[in-house]
This record gives sequence, structure tokens and C-alpha cells, in this order.
Amino acid sequence: MQLLERENELTVLRTAVDGAVQGQGSGVALAGDSGFGKSALIEALCRDVTGARVLRTHCDPLDTPRPLGPFRDLRRLQLAGLERGEDFLLAELCEQIYTSLAAEPTVLVVEDLHWVDAASTDVLRFLARRVESMPLALILSYRDREIDPRHSARRLLGDIASLDGLTQVALQPLSVDSVRTLLEGTGLEPERVHAITGGNPFFAAEVAKEPDLPLPNSVRDAVLAHTSEVEPNDFEVLQLIATAPDRLDDRALPLLGVDLPTLRRLDATSLLTRTDDGIVFRHELARQAVETTIPPGGGSRLHAVLLDVLEQVETRDPAVLSHHAVGARDGARATHYARLAGEDAARAGAHTESAAFFATALEHLTTDDPRERAGLLLQLSYQQYMTSRLVEAIDNVRATFPLWERAGDAAGLAAAHEAVALYEYYSARRRQAETHSGRAADIAVAPAAGLALGTARALQGYLAMMRSEIEQAREFFAEATQVAAEHDDGLLTLKSGLFRATTELVCEEDGARSNLLDHIDAARDGGWDELASTGYSQIANLDVEHGRFRAAENLLQLSIPFTIERDIPICRHWQTAVRSRLHLHQGHWNAALEDAGDVLNSEGMPLAKLWPYLVNVLVPLRRGESADLNALDEVWALADLIDEPLRRLAVLAALAEVSWMTGEPDERVREDAVDQLADLTAQPGASWGAGHLAVWLRRLDLPVGVSGELAEPFRLALEGRHADAARWWNLAGDPFAEAMSWSDSSDPDERVRGIKLLDGLGAVGTADRHRVVMRAEGFTAVPQRPRQSTRANPAGLTNRQLEVAKLVARGLSNAEIAARLYISPKTADHHVSAILAKIGLPTRRAVVVQATELGLT
Amino acid sequence: MKRFIIEREIENAGDLTADQLADIAQTSNEAVASLGVPYTWVNSYVAGDKIYCVHEAEDAETILEHARRGGFPANKVTEVANEFGPHSAGARVS
Repeated sequence: MQLLERENELTVLRTAVDGAVQGQGSGVALAGDSGFGKSALIEALCRDVTGARVLRTHCDPLDTPRPLGPFRDLRRLQLAGLERGEDFLLAELCEQIYTSLAAEPTVLVVEDLHWVDAASTDVLRFLARRVESMPLALILSYRDREIDPRHSARRLLGDIASLDGLTQVALQPLSVDSVRTLLEGTGLEPERVHAITGGNPFFAAEVAKEPDLPLPNSVRDAVLAHTSEVEPNDFEVLQLIATAPDRLDDRALPLLGVDLPTLRRLDATSLLTRTDDGIVFRHELARQAVETTIPPGGGSRLHAVLLDVLEQVETRDPAVLSHHAVGARDGARATHYARLAGEDAARAGAHTESAAFFATALEHLTTDDPRERAGLLLQLSYQQYMTSRLVEAIDNVRATFPLWERAGDAAGLAAAHEAVALYEYYSARRRQAETHSGRAADIAVAPAAGLALGTARALQGYLAMMRSEIEQAREFFAEATQVAAEHDDGLLTLKSGLFRATTELVCEEDGARSNLLDHIDAARDGGWDELASTGYSQIANLDVEHGRFRAAENLLQLSIPFTIERDIPICRHWQTAVRSRLHLHQGHWNAALEDAGDVLNSEGMPLAKLWPYLVNVLVPLRRGESADLNALDEVWALADLIDEPLRRLAVLAALAEVSWMTGEPDERVREDAVDQLADLTAQPGASWGAGHLAVWLRRLDLPVGVSGELAEPFRLALEGRHADAARWWNLAGDPFAEAMSWSDSSDPDERVRGIKLLDGLGAVGTADRHRVVMRAEGFTAVPQRPRQSTRANPAGLTNRQLEVAKLVARGLSNAEIAARLYISPKTADHHVSAILAKIGLPTRRAVVVQATELGLT
Repeated sequence: MKRFIIEREIENAGDLTADQLADIAQTSNEAVASLGVPYTWVNSYVAGDKIYCVHEAEDAETILEHARRGGFPANKVTEVANEFGPHSAGARVS
């Protein structure tokens, strides 16, 4: 096909290829409607690549795409683990692909992203983030109209828009002049053809091929004009090929009785082309046009023919077979293959597709066996949970209850109640979670249920522990341990031990943290990733709760990548929420908001949303910007649902801070907080949360009734030792609490010191509140609000910039930073300039010198 | 009909058992039968990591079509220009 008005786009692509040949990687994403010449452009590019290998692949146009389809077709990369049914880690696959692509200059083309599966999206995002560090030209194409906000490729497109080294190119329709060029010698009127085709290059070119026919009204008519000479038998072969959207496997040709002369005759239509392992339509628009000629009812017959044939061709791909079984209206085989495809997809980490396959399997289920339906529903619900579709997951598990009962399967019923309990808890509905975990334990007493009693008890203990009911939790864990020993079950033994170690850390017992870390290591060694990740989530949360900010930071640096690598979304949500709280303590306002937004915008776990909600209110308030105070009602409702003392204390303290800032009395603070403080203080592990609330109540001149021991900095504050409290916070790395401690003092100099610290942090809202209070008390020497932040601080840095800033603080050069973060030295240089401007320091040397003050050590 | 030598790279081809070779032969025969054009599989030789085949067809494209249908690699297809052997010594023409 002639390329018209595509010179600029071709130049962009060629520049990317030239860069790759010279070792500087980059990526280009081509956007355009069907027929706009994305493939033609890529053809033109690939024809004259020198000095780099070209790998071309595309996404599947099946109802549900094959997980990792585009990478399965890249045999030249010799990727291990992509054989059907093999267990492998997506992270390991990413590393393999990275190593392979980093080895020699490569042009990697992945077409039709609008059909991409979720697992391939993850691999492409991994490559996109590292593209500058590889000799790679990553070329992607997609129809932008077909990618809605919920599409799995959406995040990848977001990366392309924001990351360095990646550009988007949108293809435009042809002008009348170009249509005129296409029509040269045909005698057709360019203006009319342009109007009919809307400047769609494919459509216009098809029209030009048949100038003697009446002008077609649609692409379909233009395509079908090529088939007017085709014999009926041959035409049926065309329809058969159109029924196999991925490709018609060459090895199926003998079984279908399609001989070489037939293929030669069909070649004359110019509609078909050969790929590495099959026959495809040259263009999807052509395939769709031929597909529309299949008479009603004829489609299912063609699908059935293909299904029978493809079952005899190794390696059988259940994703493709389920597509044809559904098309053939063959319920039994649709269920059979969709289930296999669902299990494959789950293994590949493609949970969105996995859920779609299980839903297909259920939709076509023909047997009355309640166990089979219940099993599929449970599998579906787990995949929905993995993709944060909790409401549907809960509905689907609930639907299994009567089925297990009918099947008389106690173990299945117990497992279902346990699954619902966990999903309800993640949905922040504690009461339902407790009810179902109790039901699971009651049912599991039946002798056949075996281990189920132990796992139910472990879950009950976990719920009790989160609610600070430590004694009860320990009893549950003891029983779980006993069941684990009876059945000699390593996972349950370790799980009970890990949870018990967590209770020790909640109660701040000596050696608890290292004991818990030992359990996590054992879980990792045993391959129990989810348990290890749960352990990390607990430590990170308690580190922040207990003021171990640097320890929390180091841990999260390790644990968040682990959740991504091991595909444990619940823990990623939770830990990102914990990190937003950590940033709030460290005065990293922008990074806190970034994490909070990440959690709130991904349809995640309501349970994880508490801190992000609070961060979204407190950060703007402290900065003196407008804050959405109505969100506090939502947080309050959420805290009620979660119903855990530590969570409630945190929310009450935030409400108290808001009340202090706005001067608006809040019943929840004046009544609930004051009344409940003594009780809450007495809870195990509440010495920090209660201390935090107590200090804010004191600032509001409300009664502070404390019955238990408070953590050190709060004890110091309540004893009036504000300077000591301030020093404590300074050492811990919480500059906001440090400044507030100075301001709590009765000494005007110390109060002014607090105000200046707050100004320097960019917490001018809080500083202004102090100014108002001091002036009202008759002080005249209150420092003015500065025009701009006078003290260097990292409050404005994003998470990525914080990462770079820490490396600068450690004295690394741009080249070293680039190597560590898989970016080009030029990008590292951009980051460093932006960071210096935001922090407000002239040189990187100054960052190194002030690393401690900046909290970047 | 022209004669072609086809080189097929198959890792550890030398270890293929008689049964496996029988399966391959059957697949190949079915592919030949399905072509609908004149085609002869003359013979094949397993050597190390390769199988060398001698086939007869109208052109190299048909050889490749047979390989596609059988699911076999065809890494190199070369037309045989001439054949000779010990008996050729007595066949001088000048």
C-alpha cells in the first residue's frame, strides 16, 4: 500500500530505530482508527531496518485474549515457562524478556493494543519503564477509540504519556490531495471518494482498486468487490478463515481439505497474507467484511468445523478452542476449554482474562452437578478479588452456599464461608467477616473438613488481632497451630506462627520485630508469597504506627516491589496506603497525595482507604489550601464499619486536628473522643494512637483521661516537656510533629521556632493558625508568613523524585543514578534539575551536605 | 518437477526414536497428500541437530507450503543442480 502523508510519522519511527541501533532505547505508540495505515507504516519501517533484529507480534482479536499472546508468538526470544500449564512468575518472564532485548539492538513491534490482555500490559509497562536503558525501539499500535478508562491498556498509555523516552503519534485522515494521488488514472472524483471514505486510507485504496464498479457505500462493499469472481467453494474457505480471528493454523489445512491450488486462487483476491504459522486477512476490516457474509446459523457450523480440526493440532490452546466452542454453541466443550483457559490465565497473572474465561465456563455449563458449578464460581470469585471486583466476588461465593449444601460437601462450604469472610473484611465490613469466619469454623468441625477448622481459626484470630482483642486472638492461633500439627501442614503452622509474632509486635514485646521478619523469610523460602506479603503489610503498618519511620521506609522499598512482582494486589493497595501515611509523617506532602490518589483511584479495597482519605484532607489543610472537609464523614463511616480501636484513634486524632485548625467544634471530638479515650488507651498496642489523640485533645483544651501507658513522645508532651518531645520527633524523622511540639510550649521563643519550622515545611496553613492564636494572646513579635518557602525541603517531590533525591544525597552521579533506575543519563539529569528547583537548593553538593536535615538519609 | 535439499534444524534430532520418526513420517505424508499438486518425498537423513530431506516439487514455495502444513522447520531450501556418484566417472562427454 502506498504511504501518503505519513513522512513525519515514519521519521519519528526511524529515529527510534536509529537510537536503538546506537544503544539508546525509546518507544513510539501509534494511535489511529482501523484502516488508518498503522500496519502499513510499520511494514514500511520494518522493510529497511539495518543493524537491529525486528520482532513483530500482535494481540489477539479473540473474545477473551490469550494471556501473554503477543509474547507466546515471539519464539525467537526463546522464553522459558510459556508452555501451557507451566507455573511461572510474571516477574521472571519480564526479566527474561529484558535480558533478551538488552542483548542486541531490537525493534519490538506489538500491534493492536486495543486487544491486549492484562498480563501483556504488565510486561509492556515493565519494558516501557526501562526502555531508555536498552538498545530497543518499542513500537506499539492501537485504536484509541477502543480503549476506555477500564481497559487494561489504559495504564500503559498513561505511562507512555508521562515517561521519558516514549512518544505518542496520532494518525490523521488523508487530505483530498492524497486521495487524488491514490486515485490517479482511475477517473474517479477525489472529492467524492474523500467524502465517502472520510479520508480513511484503507477504504480509499480499496475504492481505487475497483474503479469500474459503482462507488461502494462502505468499506465492506469495497472489500467484497474483490470477491465477485470467487467460486462458492473457495468463498467458504474465505469464510472459514474469517471465523478464525487469530489466524488459521497452517497445520489445519490438510484436515480441512484446503489444497494449494485453492490458496493460489484465493491469493488473487489480495485479501489474505501468510504469517509465521498461519493464514490471516491482510486487514481486520477485510476479515470483518467477509464475516458479515456468513448466513445466520452458518457461523456456528464453521466454528464447529474449526473446533474439531484444531483439537487435532498440537499444542492445543484452550483460549482459542473455547472461542470456537462458544461460537459453535457447544456448551460442554465451551465449559471444558474455558475452565482450562481460565486456569492458564490465572497462572500467567492475567486475572482479568481469567475471570472472563471462568464466567464463560459458567455461562455454558450444562451439567447439574452442584459441585462443579460451585467450584467454578469459587474460581471466578477469586479472580474477581484479584482484580479488585470485591462486590461481584462476594456475590459469586454466596451463590455457592446452597450448592455445597446440596452436594453435602462440608469442606467446600467451609472454604466458601472463609473466602467470603476475607472479602467482606477487605470491603471493611467487619461484622459480616466475623460472622462468616465463625460459620466456617462451625462447619469445619465435621470430621471430613480436616484442615478447614485450622484455617478458619487462623482467620478468626487475624480478625481479632486487628481489633486489638489480643487474648482471644492468641487462643485462636493456638487452636490453629494444633490443627496444623495434627495434619502436619507446614503452611498453616507458619501462618499461625507469623500471626502470633504480629500480636507480639502490636504489644511492642521485645524482639517481636525480628521474630516476625524470621517468619516472613521462612514464608518466602517456602514459596508462600501471599503469607510473606501479609507479614510485610503488618510490619510496615506497625512501624509507622510506632514512629519507626526510617525502618518503615526501608521495608516498603522492599515490600511494595514484592507485591507487584508476586501479583498480590491487596497487599499493594494496603502498603501504598501505609506509605501515604508515612509520607504524611515525613512531610512529603506531594508523595503522600500521590499514594493516596493511587489507592483511591484504583477500585481497590475499602479497607485500605482510611489513610488515603485522611491524607487528602490533612495535607491541603496543613498547606493552607482548600480541603474537602465533607470527606471526613466518609472516613468516620468507614471507621465505624472497620470497628478497630487503632483505626478509630487515628480518625479521631485527625478530626481533632481539623477542629483545631478550623476552630469549628466537632461533636465527634468533644463527645466521642473525650469519652472513649480512657477505654481506648487501655487496649493492647494503643499507646501510640491514644497518645496522638490525647495530645490533640490537650491542644483543644478538652479533658484528657488516660488509663494506660502512652508512648514516649506523647508522655513527654503531656508532662509539659515540649522541647524533649520535639527532639524525639526530630530524631524519628517527623518534622511536622517536631514543629507542633515546639509550638505546644509556653515559651514564646520556642513557639516562634515551631512556626518557622512549619513555614519551612510548607505547612503554612498550620503555621498561620499558630500565628492567629499567638496574636490573639497578645504577642506582637510573631514572624510574618514568608512569601515563599525559605527552607529547603522535599515536601513537593513525587515518589519517583524522592527515589532520585535519595540517590543524589548518597553522592551518586547522574550516570550511576541512570544505571540504577534503568533510565538514560539525560533523563536522570532532568530529574535532578527538577528536584533541585523543588527542594530549593542550588547544587547536588548542597543536597549531600544537607541530606540529614532533608530527611533523605 | 525439481529436486530440493531441505535443511531442518531440530534440537537433538539424532535422539528421535523409531516411533517418533514414524509419527513425523505420517504427518509429512498427510501434508503431501493435502497439497493437491505433484509432490514427492524422496528420503530424509537425520544427522546431529538437523534433518536433511530430499523432496521433489514444482518450486521452492511448494516445499515451504509442505513444511508449514506439517509444522516442520525449513531453515534452508536449495535446488539440486546436479547429481553424480562413482558411476559418473565413466560418463564423460568430452
